[in-house]
Amino acid sequence: MKALAVAGQGLTWAVLATLIGLFGQGPSFSPYDPGQALIKVSMAHLSERLEPCRQLSAAERAELPPTRRVSEVCGRERAPTRFELMLDGELLVADAVDAAGLSDGGRAYYLEYFPVEPGRYTVTIRLADTPRTAGFDLEREMNLNLKAGESALIEIGDDGVSLETEESS
Amino acid sequence: MSSGQVRPRPAWPARALARGESLLSNAFGAATNPFHHLGALAIYCFYIALVTGIYLFVFYSTNLEGAWHSVEAITHEQWVIGGLIRSLHRYSSDAAVLLLALHMLRELVRMRHTGVRWFSWLTGMPLIWIVLIFGISGYWMVWDQLAAWVATASAQLLDWLPIFSDPMGSNFVSNETVSGRLFTLIGFIHLVGLPIVLVLGIWFHLLRVRYPRIHPPSKLMLGSLASLMVLSLIIPVTSHAPADLDAVPGVLAIDWFYLAVFPLQSVTSPGTIWLAGTTGTLLLAALPWILPRRRQPVAEVHLPDCTGCGFCAEDCPYGAIDMVPRTDGRNFELEAKVNASLCVSCGICTGSCPSSSPFRQRAPLTTGIELPHFTMDDFRTELDRARDTGQTGERILVFGCDHGVDVEKTETGTAHSMVLPCVGLLPPAGIDYALRNSGYAGVAIAGCADCDCHHRLGERWTQERIDRERPPGLRKRVPRERLFTYWGKPGQEKALSRRLAGFAAGLDQAATPEAPGSALRRTGT
Ligand code: HEM
Ligand code: SF4
Ligand code: SF4
Repeated sequence: MKALAVAGQGLTWAVLATLIGLFGQGPSFSPYDPGQALIKVSMAHLSERLEPCRQLSAAERAELPPTRRVSEVCGRERAPTRFELMLDGELLVADAVDAAGLSDGGRAYYLEYFPVEPGRYTVTIRLADTPRTAGFDLEREMNLNLKAGESALIEIGDDGVSLETEESS
Repeated sequence: MSSGQVRPRPAWPARALARGESLLSNAFGAATNPFHHLGALAIYCFYIALVTGIYLFVFYSTNLEGAWHSVEAITHEQWVIGGLIRSLHRYSSDAAVLLLALHMLRELVRMRHTGVRWFSWLTGMPLIWIVLIFGISGYWMVWDQLAAWVATASAQLLDWLPIFSDPMGSNFVSNETVSGRLFTLIGFIHLVGLPIVLVLGIWFHLLRVRYPRIHPPSKLMLGSLASLMVLSLIIPVTSHAPADLDAVPGVLAIDWFYLAVFPLQSVTSPGTIWLAGTTGTLLLAALPWILPRRRQPVAEVHLPDCTGCGFCAEDCPYGAIDMVPRTDGRNFELEAKVNASLCVSCGICTGSCPSSSPFRQRAPLTTGIELPHFTMDDFRTELDRARDTGQTGERILVFGCDHGVDVEKTETGTAHSMVLPCVGLLPPAGIDYALRNSGYAGVAIAGCADCDCHHRLGERWTQERIDRERPPGLRKRVPRERLFTYWGKPGQEKALSRRLAGFAAGLDQAATPEAPGSALRRTGT
C-alpha cells in the first residue's frame, strides 16, 4: 500500500512535469508560411489641411487681443491620406486613412504586414494627401528583390515614400 | 426548524471531482492532497519564479544590445546552474498558470464562486490578466526571435485599441526603429511593476478569507520543486536566434501557457482577441450571478447569551463577525455582530460559542449565535426525542455535513445520522450530551476531508476542540474511545461504513443490528 501510494505521488508529479514539458516550449508555431517574404507598410504622414491658411486683414488683426495678434489663421482639419500599393501592377492594398486626433489635425497612421512570395517586384505607390477626391498627388516606383525569409519596409513619411531595401537597378 | 431550506448537497460535477481527488488523497494523504492546496501551490510557484528571477537579473543586461547575449551566457556558460535556474524560472511560471486554471475550475465545480464568496471569485479575474501579462512581458526580456514576434504581436494588439495615435507597432518594423527605451520600460514592468501588482492582487483576492492557506505542505513543495527540476534537466530552456526585425519570423517554440493568444491572433485578428478576451472575462466574472446558489439565512446573535468572549469572531472562516461595544447595558465590554454580507451560513460560530450547551436548563434552548434554520434547540429536541422513544441505547450517532461524505448513505445498521451544515457547528458539549444524556453508545463525526472543508475551517476547528487545543474544548470526562472521527469526500460512503462498523464493533456494548441507515433527522428538509 505504501509503495502504491509513493508510486501515485511520483505519477502525479510526472503528469505535472509532462504537461509543462509538452506545452512550455512547444509545439512550434510558424506565423508565416516557411519560404515567404514580408512587405511591411508603415505610414506616418502629415497631409494637407482641408482649408488652406488665410492671411488676416489689418481690420481683423486689430480685433484680436494685442498678445495674440497673428497674421495667419489655419483650419485644423487635414485631408485623409489615400494610397495604393501595387506589386507588378497588381493591387496589394488601397486604403484611405483619416488624420489622427480629435479634430483630424494629426498625422495619418497606417501599419500592416503583407506576406508575399519571394522574388523581384516592381512596387508602385500612389498617394493623395490633398483635399482632392480623384487622382493622386504623388506616384513612385521602386524595384524590390525579396528573398525567402526577408522583409522589406515601405515607409510613407512626411516627405514621401522610402523603401529600406530598394534595389538601385 | 424545518424552514423549507433545501439542503445544498454537491451536484454531480463536484461529486465526480471528489471521486477523482480521492485517488490523490490515497496517494498523498488527504491533508497533503495537491488539489486541496492549488491556490497555495500557485503562490509557491511564484516564489520559485521570484527567487530564480532575482538570480537571472543579477547576470542580465537590461538593454537591447546585451540582453540576448547575457541570457545565452546564463544558459550555456554557467555550467549547469544558470541553465537550471533559467529553466526553473520558465517552468515554475508555467506551472503557476496550470495550477491557477485548476484552482479556478475547482472552485467553480464546487460552487464556491457564488453567494458571498463572489468577492474571491471576482478578485480572481484580474489575477488571470496580471499573470498572463507578467509572463508575456518576460518573453520580451530574451530579445530573441520569439521575443521580437511577441513584441510585434503585442504591439499590434495594443494598437487595435484607440489609445495611441502613433502606432506602437511602428517601433518594431525594422532593427533601426526598435526603441531601447521601450525595451527598458518592459524590463522595468516585468522586474518591478508586475511583481508588486501581483502581490497586491493576491492580497486583495484573499481579503475576505480568514487564515488563508498560502503555504502548501512541505511535502508538496518538495515534490513540485523536484519535478520541475527534473524537467529542467531533461528539457532545458533555450533561446531562439537573436531578434532580427528585418527577417520574417520563422518556426517558433511557443510557451502555450502564456503565449497561446498570439498564434490565435495570427490566425484571426486583434479584434477577435479583444472580443474573446473581454466577453470571456465578463462571462466568467458574471458566473456568481448566472449560476447562483440559493442563499441560506445568516447567523444571528442572541445577546442575552453572548458574553462577548470573541471565540466566534476568532473562528469564523470568513471574518463575518465583528466584536463591537456592548449595546444592551450588560456588564460585558463587547458583543458579537454578524456582517450578513460576509456570512456563508456555515454555523461554525455556533460550535465556538461557550453558550452552545444542550445541558443548559432553559427551554427553548438558546445560545449566543446560531443559524435560524438550524438552532441548538432543534438539536437538543432531536436528541431528546430519540432518547425518549428508546431509540438510542446501543446505537451510535453519526454527525455529517452538507458537503462531505454523505452519512445518510452509510450502510451501518446501528447508526443514526444527523446532517449539519458543517461539522464545525457541533459544539463539544453536544458530543458530551449525545453520550451522557441521550444515551448513545458512541458518537461519530464525519466531515470534509483534511484541508478540504467546504467552509474551510470546520474540520480543523472540530479536531482542535476535541483535542482541547481550541476553546471550547471537549470535556475530559467524555470517553474518547466512544468518539470517532472520519474526514472524507462525497463518494467515500463505503469506506466510512466499514470504519463505522469497526468503531461500532469496538464499543463495549456490542449493538444488535437493525434496519440500515435509519435517519434520525434530515436537516432542513
Ligand atoms: C494568482 C492567482 C491566484 C492565487 C495565487 C490564488 C490563491 C488563492 C488562495 C491561497 C485561496 C485561499 C484558499 C484557502 O485558504 O481556502 C484562494 C481562494 C479562492 N480563489 Fe484564488 N487564487 C488565484 C486566482 C483565482 C482565480 C483566477 C479565481 C477564479 C476566478 C479564484 C477563485 C477563488 C475563490 C472563489 C476562492 C475562495 C474559496 C473560499 O471561499 O473558500 N482564484 N485563492
Ligand atoms: S455562520 Fe459561518 S460565516 Fe456566518 S458568522 Fe457564523 S462562522 Fe461566520
Ligand atoms: S462565542 Fe458566543 S459568547 Fe462569545 S462572542 Fe460569540 S456569540 Fe458571544
